[in-house]
Amino acid sequence: MPQHQAKRLALSQRQAALILLLPFMVVYGLFLVYPFFNGVWISLHDWNLMAVAFNPDAKAFVGLQNYERVMWGRNITWGAFASPALQVIGLLGMLASFLLYRSGRAGRVTAIAMGLAALLLFVLPGFHPGEGGRWYDRRFWPTVGNTILFVGLAVPGVTITAMLLAAALNGETRAKAVLRTLFFLSQVLSVTVVTLIWQIMFSPRQGLLANVTELLGGSPIVWLTAEGFAMAAIVIATIWWSLGIAMILFLAGLQDISQDLYEAGALDNATGAKAFWYITLPNLKRTITVVVVLQIILHFQVFGQSHLMTNGGPNDTTQVLVRYIYQTAFRDSELGRASAMAVFLFVIMGAFSILQFVLGREKDE
Amino acid sequence: MNRSYYWLVFAISIPAFLWLVPTIWMVSLSFQPNDVLARTTSTTGLGLIPIPFTPDNYIALFQFGQVPMWFFNSLIVSAGMTLAVLAVSTTAGYALARLDFPMKGPIVVLCLIGLMVPEQAVFIPLYTMFADWGWHNSYHALIMPRVAVPIGVFLMMQFFKAVPRDIEEAARIDGVGWLQIFWYVMLPLARPAMMTLAILTFLYAWNDYLWPLVSAQQREFFTITLGLASIQSNFAQAEGLGRVMASGVIASLPVVVLFLIFQRYVVRAMTAGGTKG
Amino acid sequence: MKHAILGATALALLATGATAQEVTLGRFFGDCENAGTDTKASVGEACIIQSIINAADAQLDGVSVNTLPTDWGNYYDQIKAAYAGGTPPDVHVMHRHRVPEFAGIGALADLTDDLAAAGIDPSDWEAAALEAVTYNDRIIGVPMDFHANLWHINMDLMDAAGLVDESGAPILPSSPEELLEHAAAVKAATGQNYLAADFAQFPLGVRLVLALVWQQGANVFDGDTATLDTAEARNAISAVTQLFDAELANPQLNYADSQQAFLNGEAAILVNGTWVVDFYASEAANTETALSNYYAADFPTLFGDGATWADSHMWAIPAPLKANDPETYNAALQVLAFINDHNIDWARTGHMAVRSSVLESAEYAALPHRNEYTGTADIARDTPPSARYGAIQDVLNREFQAIWLTGKSPDDALADAQLDVQDLLDR
Repeated sequence: MPQHQAKRLALSQRQAALILLLPFMVVYGLFLVYPFFNGVWISLHDWNLMAVAFNPDAKAFVGLQNYERVMWGRNITWGAFASPALQVIGLLGMLASFLLYRSGRAGRVTAIAMGLAALLLFVLPGFHPGEGGRWYDRRFWPTVGNTILFVGLAVPGVTITAMLLAAALNGETRAKAVLRTLFFLSQVLSVTVVTLIWQIMFSPRQGLLANVTELLGGSPIVWLTAEGFAMAAIVIATIWWSLGIAMILFLAGLQDISQDLYEAGALDNATGAKAFWYITLPNLKRTITVVVVLQIILHFQVFGQSHLMTNGGPNDTTQVLVRYIYQTAFRDSELGRASAMAVFLFVIMGAFSILQFVLGREKDE
Repeated sequence: MNRSYYWLVFAISIPAFLWLVPTIWMVSLSFQPNDVLARTTSTTGLGLIPIPFTPDNYIALFQFGQVPMWFFNSLIVSAGMTLAVLAVSTTAGYALARLDFPMKGPIVVLCLIGLMVPEQAVFIPLYTMFADWGWHNSYHALIMPRVAVPIGVFLMMQFFKAVPRDIEEAARIDGVGWLQIFWYVMLPLARPAMMTLAILTFLYAWNDYLWPLVSAQQREFFTITLGLASIQSNFAQAEGLGRVMASGVIASLPVVVLFLIFQRYVVRAMTAGGTKG
Repeated sequence: MKHAILGATALALLATGATAQEVTLGRFFGDCENAGTDTKASVGEACIIQSIINAADAQLDGVSVNTLPTDWGNYYDQIKAAYAGGTPPDVHVMHRHRVPEFAGIGALADLTDDLAAAGIDPSDWEAAALEAVTYNDRIIGVPMDFHANLWHINMDLMDAAGLVDESGAPILPSSPEELLEHAAAVKAATGQNYLAADFAQFPLGVRLVLALVWQQGANVFDGDTATLDTAEARNAISAVTQLFDAELANPQLNYADSQQAFLNGEAAILVNGTWVVDFYASEAANTETALSNYYAADFPTLFGDGATWADSHMWAIPAPLKANDPETYNAALQVLAFINDHNIDWARTGHMAVRSSVLESAEYAALPHRNEYTGTADIARDTPPSARYGAIQDVLNREFQAIWLTGKSPDDALADAQLDVQDLLDR
C-alpha cells in the first residue's frame, strides 16, 4: 500500500476506533438499547395499538398496574402446601443441590443455580387465591407453567438423545460422518417447514402416524387436539428439529476426553455401556450443563410450534408465553400488558443468560 | 474395524432412517397429485414412495403463486442482513479487540448486556418505532433489528483477540494506519471467522418467523418462511397438500444445500452461536 | 460494505414505489391463483372473489387492483398491525362484528356522501345489510353478504335411517331429545356418525352452541354484563355433548378433517357456513366423492325460537386514505362499486345476497340448493356488538373446547368463561 497515502490518513487510535465502532454502536443504540427501554416505558402505560396509532394521546400512564393485572390477583395468599407435588419437589431439589455440593459432585455455581431453581419451585406455586379471591389474569401463570413444562420435556429429551447419539457417532469413519449429517439435517429447516411436516404427520386423517396405526389395526390418535397428546406432539417435533446443535456440542465435548482414560478403563473391564457410565458421563459434566442452559434459553422462546400446530389448544394446554405476548399485542391490541409480559420474559431469559455466562467463564479458568 | 463396529453402524442406521422419514415424506407428497392426496396419503409404501408421480406441483408453484417472489425476498433479506452484520461486526469487533480508547471496558460490558435481550423482549417497541417511521413492509425493516444483536461483534472480537500481535506491529512500524491494517491485514485473516458468522446470520435470517410475521403485512414483503406459515393457516387447504409440501421443499432447498456444501462451517457456526449467545 | 447497505436501501425504495391508481386490496377467503376473469364460472369462495377482483382489475379504466395476503388465520392481527403501522390496504374485507372495534376509533372512512357518485345505491340494500355497515348513523362500508350456519346433509345416510319426508326433505330434530334419537337411528342404520363440525379449531362449535343459547332467548353477554353462567347455556352445551358421550359425533376433528369426514360419507350432517354450499354441490356431483346426495338445510330449532349464528362480510376503506389521497380513494370506491354490482356472483358461493334487486331476481332463486335454506335469513343472529368480539370468541372457543376435548365440567368452564368475558367487557 502506498506510503504517502497512509501518512495522510494516519489517524490516532482513538479516531480509528471511533470510526470502526460507530456503525455498530448507532445500530445497537437505535435498534436494541432504545427499543428495550422503550418497551419498559410502554409497559407502564395503558396503550392500545390501534387507538394510539390514530391518536397519539390515547395512552395513559398507569405505573405498575399492567404488571399487577398480569401477575397478581385479588386476595392472593401463600401457603407452604398449596400445590404439594411441585413444592415437595422444590424442597427435595434444595436438599439435593446442597448434598451434591457437599459431596463435591456439583460445582458451586451449578449447586447455587439448582438450589435457586428449587427454591423458586417451592415458593412460586405456593401463591394461590384465598377465600373469594382470584387471579386478575387467569391465563398468565398457566401459560408460564405450560412454557416451563415444554422446556422441562424438550430439554431432557434433546439432551439425552443427543448425548447418546454423540457417544455412538463419535469417530472419524465415513459411515459415522454420514449418520451425523443425517441427524443434523433437520436442524437447518425453518420452524414453518418443521410445523408443516409435523402437522401433516400427526393428522388423524392424512398423517403418516395415522396410516401406520391403521395398518397395524389401531385407531389413530388425534395428536394435536387431544389434551394429553398436544404438548407431546409439539415436543416431539421440537426434539426432531433441534437435536443437531446439542449433538455437535456433545461431540466437541467428547473430543476433549483423553483416550488414555478409556484405555485405562479397558484394563478394568470398563467398556461399552460401562465405560460410558463411568468415564464418559463424569467427563461430560460441563458440556451437559452448557447444553442444558443453552436449550433452556432456546426453548423458553418457543412460539412457532404452538402458534402453527395447535393454536395453543386444546384448552390452552399448549399456550406458551411468547404466543400469549404476541396475541395480547396484536390480537387484543394491548401493548402495555404485552410489554409487561415481555419484560417478565426478559427477566427470566436474563437470569439464564447470566448463568450461561458464568458457566462459560468457569470453563475458561 | 471389527464386528461390533458394523453392528453399531447398522443399529444407528435404523433410527437415522426414521429420523429422515418426515423429510422423505414431505418430498414424496410434493410429487403426488393433489386429487389423490385429498383421498389418501398412503398410496404406495405408506406414501413414502411418490407413485403416482407428478411434477405438476412444482410447475404450478413457479407458474402462479407467490412462492418464487417470497423466495426472492428471503434471498434479499438474508443476503442483506448477512452483509450488514459482517460490516458492523468486523469493524466493531476489531476496534474492541485491538484498539485502545477511553470507555472501552464499559462499552464491552454494554454490548455484553445486549446479548441477554431476547428478540421477543423488543419486538413490540420495535414495531411501534418502525410504524412511526413508516418502515414496515420494507427490506430494511426486516434486516435492521438483527444487525443490532451484538453476537457477531463478540464472535469477531474473540477472533481478533487471538491473532498474534506481531503482524500488526510490523505494519505499524512501517507507518501503516489503523484502518489500513484492519482492511488489508486483519480482514483477509478473518475470512474463516467471517464465513462462520455469515452462515450463522444467513440461516437465522432465512428461518426467522416472529419478526417478519409482525413487520411484513404485505405479501410482496413476505419471506418464504412467513409465506409458508400463511399457507398453513388457511381456513381450507385451497392449494392442495402436494402444492403445500412442494412449497416446503422449495423453502428448505437453499439451507439444505448450503448445509451440505459448507457443513464444517455450519457446524462451527452453530456451535459458536449456540454457546455464546 | 457501504455499497451493500446503500444497494439494499435502493432496492427497498424501488420495491415500495407504487403507481398512483393502484388499489391494494386486503381479504381473507384463501388463495386462488388461476381464477380468471369469468365471474360466472369460478367455484368456491376463494376463486369467486378472486375472479371478481380480477375482472375489476381488467375492466375498470385506470385502476389496477393488487391483492394482499389472503390467509384467514392471522387476518385481523395483520390488518390491525397494518393500520397501526400506517400502511393499511386501500380497501379491505371485514366482518360486521368488527365494526365497533375499527369504526370506534375512527379507522374507517365515512362513505355516506360518496356512494351515489360512485354508482352504489344504498337504498337497494336490505335493511339488515344497511344496519350492518352503519356506525353512529354513518355508512362506513359496502355490505357483500349475509352468511350463517347451515346444516349440510348427506341425504343417503338420512334416507337409510328413515329421516327423509315424502317431499324429499330431511327430517331434522325439534328438541334435544329428538336430536339424540335421530343420531342413534343414523348410527344403527349406517354405522356412521350423525353430526360433524369443527369442534377443535375455529369457533364453529361455539357458533352451534350460541345458536342453541339464542333459541332459548338467552345470550352470552348483555351490555357490560356477562350472562354466560346460565341454565340456558348448560342446556345448549348438554344438547351437543350428549352426542359426544354416546359416540354419535367426534369432537376432535378440526375444520379440514370434519369437512373431509362429511365428504367421505362418514357423517350425515356437517354444521358449517353458507360459504361451502357450491363447493359441496360440486363435490356431490363428483363421482369419486362419497357424498352424492347433498342438501343444505336451515339450522333446526331445538328450543323455543329459531336462531342460527350469522354475520356479514363487508368492504371498508381506511379513513386516512380518504383524508390524504383522494385519487386512490376514488379508485377504491370504483372497486367497491364493481364488487357491489357483482353481488349475484358472490351469492353463488352459497352466501345470501344483500341487495333487494338481487334477492328478488330469478337468477338468484335458481342458484343450486337456494330454495332449501330460505328460512335462514329470518333466524340470523349474532352476539351483541362489542369492540372485544374477537377476544370473547376466543374465550368461548377455549372453554367450550375444554368441555368436549378435555373433559372439563360445564360448570367450571362456564364459570371461568363468565369471569373472562366479564374481564374483557370491563377493560
